Amino acid sequence: MKKNIIILGILCTLLFPGKTPSQQEFYLRITEGMPAIPIALPQFSFQSGSPEFQKETAELHDIIKNDLKYSRIFQPLPENYYSYIRPINPNKILFKDWQSISAHLLLVGEVSPLSGGDILFEGKIYDVKSERFIKGRRYQSEKSLVRLMAHRMSNELMKMYGEPPLFTSKIAFVSNRDGNDEIYLMDYDGQNQTRLTFNKVQDYMPALSPDGRKIAYTSYRSGKAALYVLDIYEGKITEIKTEGRTNYAPCFSPDGKVIVFCSHIPGGNPEIFTASTNGNNVKRVTFNNAADTAPYWSPTARQIAFTSDRSGTPQIYIMDAEGSNVRRVSFGGNYHDGPAWSPSGDRIAYIARVDQIFDIYILNIRTNRVTKLTESSARNESPTWSPDGRHIVFSSNRTGTIQIYSMDYDGSNVRQLTHRGENKLPFWSIVQ
Amino acid sequence: MKKILILVLVTILVFAFLISCRKKVEDVPAPPPKPQEIEQPKVEKVEEVPPVKEPELTEEEIFMAKSLEEINEEMPLNMIHFDFDKYFIREDAKPILQQNARWLKKFPTVKILIEGHCDERGTEEYNLALGEKRARSTYDYFISLGVGPNRMRTISYGKSQPIDLGHNEISWQKNRRSQFTIFEK
Repeated sequence: MKKNIIILGILCTLLFPGKTPSQQEFYLRITEGMPAIPIALPQFSFQSGSPEFQKETAELHDIIKNDLKYSRIFQPLPENYYSYIRPINPNKILFKDWQSISAHLLLVGEVSPLSGGDILFEGKIYDVKSERFIKGRRYQSEKSLVRLMAHRMSNELMKMYGEPPLFTSKIAFVSNRDGNDEIYLMDYDGQNQTRLTFNKVQDYMPALSPDGRKIAYTSYRSGKAALYVLDIYEGKITEIKTEGRTNYAPCFSPDGKVIVFCSHIPGGNPEIFTASTNGNNVKRVTFNNAADTAPYWSPTARQIAFTSDRSGTPQIYIMDAEGSNVRRVSFGGNYHDGPAWSPSGDRIAYIARVDQIFDIYILNIRTNRVTKLTESSARNESPTWSPDGRHIVFSSNRTGTIQIYSMDYDGSNVRQLTHRGENKLPFWSIVQ
Repeated sequence: MKKILILVLVTILVFAFLISCRKKVEDVPAPPPKPQEIEQPKVEKVEEVPPVKEPELTEEEIFMAKSLEEINEEMPLNMIHFDFDKYFIREDAKPILQQNARWLKKFPTVKILIEGHCDERGTEEYNLALGEKRARSTYDYFISLGVGPNRMRTISYGKSQPIDLGHNEISWQKNRRSQFTIFEK
């Protein structure tokens, strides 16, 4: 996998160096309420005399189109608009045509074959109004990595607007499709579902590190619920040693160096602890007779959100990362759990239980406004945010079995990502 | 012609004789099963002797002869159940634990794992904590009955190992439990 990514990265160069005056990168932060940017995405052309890549060419186009649709930043124009204008000529762009169908951006793609069965994909982004070339990317890889090429191209468009690489981000989750609960990894759109742990015992509650290279999870491999850190690409497993206590619900700090987790102190009361990812420096953070669970770092690393039943029922609290300055943020219900801090830092997604039904809510901690996102007589659980904060992944038993879904931050655009076995405890993170 | 006719007649007669002979041969072996039936009771008489010896083994010796898997399959320790969202030992669970404690005193070398389980109506994190508390309160009750603390270990499985997959109160009640596994004898 790592090798392939390197190969793919080799030919990722700017086209036409120094020729156009529009080389400088510009960033524009999109906030809520902005209309989506109409982007024209005509069918990609493949170099004359190479019909063998027709399937891959269409696939590249479809994946990029689906990525952009999902982003909520871009709005690909309907296909039938292109029939009103002259077909695309990659060497001479007729910007007036594209203006006439009110496209703001234009992505032109070309595919050509290389020796050895490799595929070369060039994507060029144009600004239609100012009739300028903005940037281009060239990717070379074997046929099997078409999806990754397409996602990388889509990421370039996101990058123009200051967004993190959403389309190469990964979701870790737990599935029992092969017999017992094991950790799996998949693309943001549910593709490439890959198993990561292989044993006969239960492995669950995975948390991805911010760089996507490590997974912290709880495993019963040694006859107790212990916490491990797995380096996905090196296969190395480190145990977070805490004198044989029960450890679970890990979450990485934004710099990826520290893990906050839940641990049962002697007597059985769960408290929140931190430890370095190499297993050293185990430190207790909460000191309370009540159960403190489900910790989650804020994106600034200064605070930790967690669940505590110190008021009698489970509620969401926020504290400083050192354990001081604790304050309650959830009210008006008697069961709130599973907080997940948004990447923008101003929202916390959590679940509330009312009459055995779990629904996902978002609390805006600046305005204290609460929004309900799910509306189904089911258990909707374990929300975590996409790296760009516009989407939420969660598990639900709405169809009878527990499966993983993603939705937008306003509750729309619900997609089922898993289908085989029962799948739960998703965790979304960037993977470069 | 006559010679041929005689030959045919003779051969028919020979065949008829042979067939009748065969039938007789088949009829003859029928009686033997009887003596076998008479022999069998003799063997049974010999077998009757060893069962008298078995009760001479003590209960401990029988116990030690079995493997851990066999003992756990027999489930000598009964599971107890809990109220929704609670981890205190219910009145109906106390006699069960007392009986379990008596069994544990009878076999003082046995070490057990106390597993705390929950129903599906809670988040994974919350239920893992609740399962631990259920295992702990069971552990504490055993201590109060005089079972040595070094003979017990606790583990929580949260809601990940239900014994009944239904979604109603009957299933949930079955799943809110402490159950016991013997890991050393």
